[in-house]
Amino acid sequence: MPQTTDRMPEPASNRTPSPATAHTAEPEPISASGRAAEHPRERVDPLRTVGDARSTDEVRGARVVLGDGGRGPFKLLPSRPRRERSAKRDRHARTRVAFFRYSYYDIAFKFFVEHVLDADFVALPKPTRRTIELGSRHSSDMVCAPFKHILGDYIEALELGADVLVQFAGPCRLGYYGELQESILRDMGYEFEMLNFATVTGKPLTEYISICKKKVNPNVSVPHGARNMLAVFKMIECLDEANDFYLANAGFEVEPGSFERAREAYFADMREATCERDIAEAQRRGLDALRALPVRKPAQPVRVGIVGEYFTAADPTSNLDLERKLLAMGVELHRSLTMTNRNLRHNERNLRASIADYVTYNMGPTSSLTIASALRYAQEGFDGVVHVKSSGCTPEVDCVPVLQRIGRDTGMPLLYLSYDSQTSDTGLDTRLEAFYDMLAMKKEKTR
Amino acid sequence: MTEQRTARPDNDLGGNGIDAQDRCESPSPSTSATNSKTAPAPDQARIKEGPAPQDTPPKRPVSSSASSPSTRKADCYLGIDIGSISTKGVIIDAGRNIIARTYLWTEGNPADAARRVVTDLGSQVDRDAVHVRAVGTTGSARRLVGAMCGATVVKNEITAHAVGTTFLHPDVRTILEIGGQDSKIICVENGIAVDYAMNTLCAAGTGAFLSSQAHRLGVEVEEFGEIALTSKKPANIAARCTVFAESDLVHKIQVGYAREDIIAGLCRAVATNYLNNVGKGKQIVAPVVFQGGVSKNAGVVQAFRDELGMDVLVDADGHLMGAFGVALLAVEAASREGAGQATFNFDALRSFEFATREVECQKCANHCEIICVYRDGTIIDSWGNRCEKGAVRTEA
Repeated sequence: MPQTTDRMPEPASNRTPSPATAHTAEPEPISASGRAAEHPRERVDPLRTVGDARSTDEVRGARVVLGDGGRGPFKLLPSRPRRERSAKRDRHARTRVAFFRYSYYDIAFKFFVEHVLDADFVALPKPTRRTIELGSRHSSDMVCAPFKHILGDYIEALELGADVLVQFAGPCRLGYYGELQESILRDMGYEFEMLNFATVTGKPLTEYISICKKKVNPNVSVPHGARNMLAVFKMIECLDEANDFYLANAGFEVEPGSFERAREAYFADMREATCERDIAEAQRRGLDALRALPVRKPAQPVRVGIVGEYFTAADPTSNLDLERKLLAMGVELHRSLTMTNRNLRHNERNLRASIADYVTYNMGPTSSLTIASALRYAQEGFDGVVHVKSSGCTPEVDCVPVLQRIGRDTGMPLLYLSYDSQTSDTGLDTRLEAFYDMLAMKKEKTR
Repeated sequence: MTEQRTARPDNDLGGNGIDAQDRCESPSPSTSATNSKTAPAPDQARIKEGPAPQDTPPKRPVSSSASSPSTRKADCYLGIDIGSISTKGVIIDAGRNIIARTYLWTEGNPADAARRVVTDLGSQVDRDAVHVRAVGTTGSARRLVGAMCGATVVKNEITAHAVGTTFLHPDVRTILEIGGQDSKIICVENGIAVDYAMNTLCAAGTGAFLSSQAHRLGVEVEEFGEIALTSKKPANIAARCTVFAESDLVHKIQVGYAREDIIAGLCRAVATNYLNNVGKGKQIVAPVVFQGGVSKNAGVVQAFRDELGMDVLVDADGHLMGAFGVALLAVEAASREGAGQATFNFDALRSFEFATREVECQKCANHCEIICVYRDGTIIDSWGNRCEKGAVRTEA
């Protein structure tokens, strides 16, 4: 849009050139006066509008009209003949784009890369201990664990031949992580492009498009990409919906491992999706398969909610398979922190309004969501809430006193877990087991 | 993989013809594709020096002599709490009274500590008159020792402490517990634990800190309490963090504070550190029970009383409460499952060879370290695998 407006005055001022140009360039400045001639009473001085004391009466009901109505947008310039683009297109090999690992969202990331950016996706294998070792070795000790995980993922992605690494914007320190990781990786001698959305946060959509064009694919199709972007959002919602079902029921499966297998099959199905219809069908098949599995669920199961920091709460590698451990104990799990709830349907005002008794200001990226969901779980009669954060995550540390107050007010126990880059889960097992025992005993006694 | 690993001990046996002890001691010969870099086999030394006196052939039928007249014997239950610093054990009878108790240092060797605890407990009771129906283990080495003694119940120490304490003090509202590496607080309402917290990242203000500082001051940690109580004016020692506390302490020593004042200050630092970290955000309501090894330190008890402004109860068996709690859980489990397993023998731990071996799983790139526990060369349990690929089939 800015280009068109810039170009406009030029042909209008030197109106000598070919009649076609003159004709198309004409309307904007003149149309207002032309219209005014037909309808004198509607003449508008753009400097005087409704609020203007001198001309309130005359201008009531007046509108500033740009363009000449009726005939739709006019052209400022004749369309240029299309250039031969094949030659330019061929100059670029398809770029190989990698994301960091983040729970099961790699499926959506893959779709985004292939169908929005129109590039190749570098699929990373399951993370191993080496991943976090690599990440920790090259990052500051004091930085939070997600940084280390992501850096490890990037190194492995570069080893697999990625050209472009993608980093999100984040409202906490995560916003700076992309640049920091980029310079660490460059210092290590890797050559790559960094598609860091933090650099364009808050800027118009055109900036997003131009950064994608610059870093990944100069031929990104905007209408196509925009449409598929909606499919990505749809996919994320689908994934979260299926996973929510899994979390709520997998603890009561009759055949051990059946839910895990069904979920894996569903993920594999979803990974193959190439359009919106595929997504919808994969979703239907996956949910049908999950719902068909036999469960033996008690009338009043132990229900536990998981809240916490964006990365650690959702990513099983970061939280040492917290969910699976809890499911193995026979717990109905609910996790409020999903990309759907945090990114797509996030409404800070509503969340904060629901916790107005506890919080006045926005405390950080996931704080309102954490506190609001913990409170909601308590009000819905959950047996307990697990609060998950990476060690030293300031916004979530700030949430702890509020959560403690909620715990005191509602009588719901909360378990606070802090993660760093450790790989031993003995301490975690002890705490979870004790937490579960406590909830189960309490439930049994009060029944 | 599964077959290979479980089969290996047999191969070794056939191939090298070495006896069980040697096999356990030497990290398995060349054949292993897995690099078992440490085969701690912690138990051998002691076994050799005192070769199981009673039943020399280490055969399975446990207590063959004692099994037949078991009808007259009194049922009892064994609870073992293997902590990082100390190992505790109790035997309780059907009336849930403690009839034997022991407390000794783990010395970094949980398997051996469990063995010593069981031997010690065995010597305190008339073995012909009792019949151990079930065993429970708790503490950080609960799984290892649970596998060794074939425990019915393997429970975390938080639950065990809560169960034990609420049994002895049904009206308790707050349980403070400071052990060697861990400290926890458990809030109780109407006899059920409703909330708990455990120290998270560091071991500041635990028994380990106190004993290292005792060493620095040249005092036995057992004397700490009495010395602290003689102080009139405890020194002010930073409580936030062990590192700060330690440098503060060194400074105060050099400046010339009296030793008892410093020790009293340390005890107070432990109490305030605990309340600021573990007890943060928890409502501490009387009656308060204080237990764990550090509860034997009168100075810390006094500091808690001063800080909380309420009485702090210390049970004579407070340090055994984890073992007692898990023994209670064993009673419950035994009554639930019915009297079936009459297998525990006090000499079993001494007469069998126990070895652990660390195996690095090669099934995927994660290379999980799997701990395998062998009894007489037979694998009885394993853990440490993150997925089913690393599951080891046990033969027991």
